Parts: sequence; structure tokens; C-alpha cells
Amino acid sequence: MGLGAADPPPATEPAVAGGRPVRLVVTNDLERGRLSVFFRALLALPFLIWLGIWAVAAFLVAIFNWAIVLVLGRPNEGIHGFLARFVRYATHVYAFLNLAAEPFPGVGGKPGYRVDVEIDPPTRQNRWSVAFRLVLAVPALLLAATIVGRSASAYDLINLGRSSAGNGLSLLVAAAALGWFAAIALGRMPRGLRDLVAYALSYGAQLWAYLLVLTDRYPSGDPLTSFEPLPTRTDPVRMENGDEGHRSRLTVFFRLPLAVPHLVWLSLWGILALFAAIASWFATLARGTSPQSLHRFLSAYVRYQLHVGAFLYLVGNPFPGFTGAENTYPVELRVAGRARQNRWAVFFRLVLALPALLLAAAFGSLLLVVAVLGWFAALFTGRMPLGLRNAGALGLRYTAQLYGYLLLVTESYPYSGPCFEAPPPPIPETVSSPALG
Amino acid sequence: MGQPMPRAARFALVALTLALAATLWIWAAHALWTSGSPVPSSVRLPHLDAGRFFSASFLERSASYERFLYVDGLLATAALLVTLGLYARRGASLMRESAAGRVGTGILLGMLGFAIVWLAEVPFGLAAVWWERRHGVSHQSYVEWLIGSFLELGSTFLFLALALAVAMGLAGVLRRWWWAVAAPIFVGLALLFTFVSPYLIASTHPLRDRSLVADARELERTEGVDGVRLRVQDVHESTTAPNAEATGFGPTRTVVLWDTLLDGRFSDAEVRVVLAHEIAHLAHDDPLRGVAWGALFGIPLWALTALLARRRGGMARPESVPLVVFGLVALQLLATPLVNSVSRRTEAAADWGALNATREPAVQRNAMRKLSTTSLSDPDPPAWTQVLFGTHPTAMQRIELTRAWEEGAR
Repeated sequence: MGLGAADPPPATEPAVAGGRPVRLVVTNDLERGRLSVFFRALLALPFLIWLGIWAVAAFLVAIFNWAIVLVLGRPNEGIHGFLARFVRYATHVYAFLNLAAEPFPGVGGKPGYRVDVEIDPPTRQNRWSVAFRLVLAVPALLLAATIVGRSASAYDLINLGRSSAGNGLSLLVAAAALGWFAAIALGRMPRGLRDLVAYALSYGAQLWAYLLVLTDRYPSGDPLTSFEPLPTRTDPVRMENGDEGHRSRLTVFFRLPLAVPHLVWLSLWGILALFAAIASWFATLARGTSPQSLHRFLSAYVRYQLHVGAFLYLVGNPFPGFTGAENTYPVELRVAGRARQNRWAVFFRLVLALPALLLAAAFGSLLLVVAVLGWFAALFTGRMPLGLRNAGALGLRYTAQLYGYLLLVTESYPYSGPCFEAPPPPIPETVSSPALG
Repeated sequence: MGQPMPRAARFALVALTLALAATLWIWAAHALWTSGSPVPSSVRLPHLDAGRFFSASFLERSASYERFLYVDGLLATAALLVTLGLYARRGASLMRESAAGRVGTGILLGMLGFAIVWLAEVPFGLAAVWWERRHGVSHQSYVEWLIGSFLELGSTFLFLALALAVAMGLAGVLRRWWWAVAAPIFVGLALLFTFVSPYLIASTHPLRDRSLVADARELERTEGVDGVRLRVQDVHESTTAPNAEATGFGPTRTVVLWDTLLDGRFSDAEVRVVLAHEIAHLAHDDPLRGVAWGALFGIPLWALTALLARRRGGMARPESVPLVVFGLVALQLLATPLVNSVSRRTEAAADWGALNATREPAVQRNAMRKLSTTSLSDPDPPAWTQVLFGTHPTAMQRIELTRAWEEGAR
């Protein structure tokens, strides 16, 4: 999610996402005990039961809170505290269950857990927004269905959106499932997967706070502000997002049919790319590096795919070109020069890519919802909401990195978490080690 | 380096070339017009009173039904021309929405032109759906129609993108003579599309009625074709109107019957007549002749388009596309009466072929009558509507043809 030079300051631990009334606080602790990971679902069961009981109480209190805010314009401090504690505890439990945090979460929702939520004290809220809270929350529920999904079963209301949008795999479930295998194998949670879980938890906490009338700030799906600190990375396949947010209503309205020629062209190009990738596979196995011409051809294909995806899913505004040329689109893909690759990793490329393909399916659901919600938003406002755009950009970047990996453009495994992009190192021909996450 | 040609000589050369091209065009058109198996020129249609075949209430109802659709169609055409006229003036400003190169931007402008036309025509389309639903001819809901026509834009855009990519790509190399090379490419693409078109028709399945299949095979032998694919298209959820079509050539020759033709309202003998009509189209190579007519109309159209594009710097420049789209659509509309007359002649020839194959004029007469009553089409519409909208002879003309055949057979 390249924001160019606007990289964040160096990471400190723990750090807090500022500026929002509901903030996720993540302590960078990736070590995991294999035994605890193996039995994680069973270990979380008592906490989930306790959370369920608490949820019933919270639901009843929330109705009361809604009426109070509607009449007085602000929540009662005691009720606010109770509901904030519930949200915090739910986040603790789900962070534990989904391997974003290691220690047991306790039973009281006290602050200080490794993945925690800070919620501002009660403030005045817009009564109209309170009155129509459930209706207003529908788009956020749809987005939550793809980000948080069913696993956050305590978030019962979130499941309202599942029937229409969340039938696919959610990011949280996919990341947690992959994280489980990785943590069993490595004894630590890969940073990308942990951050993806944290992003989902951040969105879930914001949504729940909004539904419980703790705040009238609409949940933001922006992964770049979901929590701090986010890493700054230099991947061989990286995305730069120079989009300014403006959208032409005319091209937004006709976005799907306008994309049809591109989709057909992309399919035809994809057939050639498949044959080129097979040729590259043999050549890379034999020589250790992919031939320059094939690397260039496949890089252009991956770049073109990103351009088309950005246009189709409203992450970018202008109509893209048909050649995948570099520096032609605001949402741009930078691909490093070809590098030597590990022959074993090349030989087993398809097998190695399976986890990433699973995650890409979850990102696909996210992109679809981003496009649908963004379509309505951009049609009315002439702009793409920043949170939606950046959520879509995260999905596109991951997909592009996955294709780069699958088509042997790079050996670097796709990075799933939100991150900033640093400028590439001066020498592009680098060899990166594959790492899940 | 020779002397530049005097102005008068240049004018004479251009005039001579144009005259030669016009002569060639007329000769080719005449050859096509008289080719195939048209209705013999000796055949004179007897004048029959529509009241003998249709009830007075039906004649009144169908005339009223079609009158609305004619007005709606004319208004939609006016909206099309006004929209594209405005787009031709202002459309180039939408180049700012493109990050594509020269050709890609031209493709975007072309697609946006048709997108705006779609928006402008939506009210007329909805009005037509409302009218058809009101008369029980259509079952389609408004939302279904809207979504369906919106998604159809995708295929329109695909063909448009292909055509513009060829034209603008060639114009970038050949400048003002791009159309001379583009013409054979477009004809080739039209041939390819005609060849594969049977496979692009949605919701079809093989004709399962064994007796109809046997009838079709017998008709094929009589009319001198073989290996025709017989398909049924499921359309009953959107319309009650019956129809059929013949498409493809060579190994892809196909007759498609709408399932509304097989729902019991038509007897087997009447369906057999419809089959004979469609097989006659294939026997006359009408799909191929359609491509030939397309080429004949298309070549001057593309030449004129190239001339028009020069007003905006030539076809190679994307800003010329809005004007070109307007010019193409306007010229096509101007050519509509001619195109319709060719189509009516082709349909009459297929009717004649069906009569010769089945030798059942009374059944064919009844089939034509039923086709008219089930689709609520006016059997004897005003002449001007035939000029503008009539792709087939009127129901009365088709009935009169059966009588003329009978008289000839006696």
C-alpha cells in the first residue's frame, strides 16, 4: 500500500492508532507456544462461553443505552464503561482465539492485554445517526462479513451481513487458519498474518462500538490506520498508490461494462502468460533465474492485472491502458529485476502457493464488497471513501504479489498484512528468502 | 519531382474515381439483389382485405399497440441522435478520465458515447416494456429489463473496442487510408462472428420433438441443405411472442426456434412451415449474403467516417471518436430504409422457398396469421412504418404471397 515518501516513523512498542475514538493497541509479540496454539480453539472455549453470557447482558444494556443517547444526546458514563469493557473483552478473546495474542485473556476485559482496545470517554452524538444506527450500519456489516466473518460469532449482528456478502472465507478466519499451521511449524506467528488478524479485530471493535452507540464515528476499513506501528517493507513486487480519491460518476456508473474489453483481453493474455510461466518454470529450474524476456512479459501481465483490478474495483479512477506499461496508472506496480531463485522453491511453487491462494480467495470477497459499496459511495459523492479504497488496495497488492510469486517473477512470498512501502534498494537484483505470511 | 497536378485535373480524377466506385457499388448491389432464389418477378400479389383474416377488434388493437411502439421508437431515435450530437461536441473532454494511450482512450470515448446513449434511451425502453407488459406480450419485469440491457452493454462495448482498436491502430500507421485495409478486416470479423454466432445464443437446447426433427430433415432434403443444427431457445419467461431464426454457415448452420413457438398454440404443420422458412434462409445462404450486404454498405460508410474523422485530426486521434460515433450512427440510420428493403426481400424469398418446400399455402397462411395475432403485430401497418421499421413483409403481404403461390400452382 505504497504511500510513497509518507512512511511512518520508526516502530516503537507498544504503539497506538491515534485520531479515532476506538483504537486497537498491538504489542509486537510474535512468539507462540506450540502446545497452546495446537489446542487454541479448546482453550478459548471457556472464554467464548463467558463472552456469550456477557453478550446477552450487553445486548440488553445496549438497547437502554440507545434510548438514553437518543433522548440526552450522549451516553451515560457507567453504561458506556460497561459496554466499552465488553468490546475490549471481546477483542481480547478473539485476539487469543485467532492467534494475534498469546497469553490467556482473563475474564474482566481489563486494559493492558497484548491486543487491546482503547475507547474514548462518552461524547455528544448526532441523534439522527443514533436513531437510524442499525440502518446506517448495514454497509459496515457487509464489509465486516468479509473482514471479520463468522469466527467473531459473539458479534451476532455482524452475521446479519453474511447471508448476502459473507458466504466466502473471511480474512480473519483465513489468516487465523494459516497462522495456526505456521505457528505450529515455526513457533511464532508470521507478522503479515498477525497484522491481518489485528486489522480484522480493529474493524470488528470499531463496528461493535458503533452498533452499541459508544461512538458515532463510522467504522473505517482503512488498513493503514487500523493500528500502529505498521511495518515499512521493500518487496520485489510492490504497489504504489497515487490515487487522489476523485471518481468520475459517469465511469463509475458504467464501470462493469467498461471493464469488459479489459477482462477479455486479460483472459487472452492470461493464456499466453500461462505458457510463458511454464517455460519460465523449466528455465528457472535449469538456470536458477528466469529468462529476462519472460520476466519482462510476465511482469507486464501482473502489472496489467493490477491496473484492471484497480479500475474494476474502484481503487483507481482512470481507464487503464491495455499494455501493462509502467508509470501509466495511479495505482502502479513496481517489479524488481529478476533474481536468482531457490530451485526447490521453484519446483514446488504451486504447492507453496496454496496457502496464499486461500488467503487470496478471502481478499477476493473483500474486493467485491469494496467495489459494491464504493460504487454507491462514489456515485453519490464523486469520491471513493479512503477506508474502502485502502482496503481494496490491500487486496489488490496481495493478489499482485501472489501472481508475481506464482508466475515466477519473484521468489518473495506475498505479504498479507497492511504495511507501508519503502523505496526500493539501489541494487534491484536481490535474492529474498521465502517466508510464509 | 514532377509538377503538381492542376486543380481541374485533380477534380476530374476524383470525380472519375467516385463515379467508378459508385458504378462498381451499384453493379455489386444489383448482383446481390438478384442472386439467391428471390420471389419470381412475375409474381403479383393479389390485394386481400385484412378483415377476411383478422377480426376488426384485433386490427384495431394491434394498430393501437404498434402505434405506441412506433412513436416510442422514433422518440428513442431522436434521443439517440441528440445525445450523440451533443457528445460529438463535448465528448472529447472525457479524455481526462483515461490513463490509457491513444487507442485505449479512443476506445473509452467510444464506449462512453454508447453508455450515455443507453442512459438517454432508458425511459423509452422502460416505456416499451410497460406497453408490452400491459398487452401481455412481455413478462419481463422492469428491473430485469434494466439489468439485462445494462449488462448487454458489456458485449456492445467488446465489439466496439475491437472495431476501434482496429480502426485507430491502422489509422496510426496508414493515416487517411486506414479504412481501405480495415474494410477486409471488418468483413473477416463479421464472417467469423456469423460463423460462431449459433454458439453465442444463450439458453438453447436441442429440438427434442422427434416428429419435428424428422420433418426438418425432410425439408432439408427438399430445399437442398443438410446437417442443419436444430435448437430451441427458452424465452417464455420474458415474452409470449413466437419467433425463430436461422444463423451460421457451413458446419455451424443452425435453426433456432423459440420455445413460445412450441407451447401448443401452433400446430405441428404450422411449426413445420416456420422450419421450412428458416431452412430456406440457410438454403439461400442468407447469413453469408447478410455479411456481403454488410460489406457493401460498410465500405462507403467507413470511407465517409474516415473523411469525417479528418475534421478532428484523423481517426488516429482519440478526440475524433465522439464525432465518428455520431457520424456512423447517423449514416446507419440514413441507410435504414435501404437495409430494411433488402431484409424484406430476403424474408419474402424465404417465404417463397417454404411454400415450394411444403406446398401447403393454407397452413402457411394460418401460421402467418397466428404469428401476427400472438405477437400483436399490425397485419397491415402504414407504409412509412415499413420503410423505417419493417424488416419483414407485413402479415398481409405474407398471406397474399401464399395466395399468389396457390394461383401459380393451379
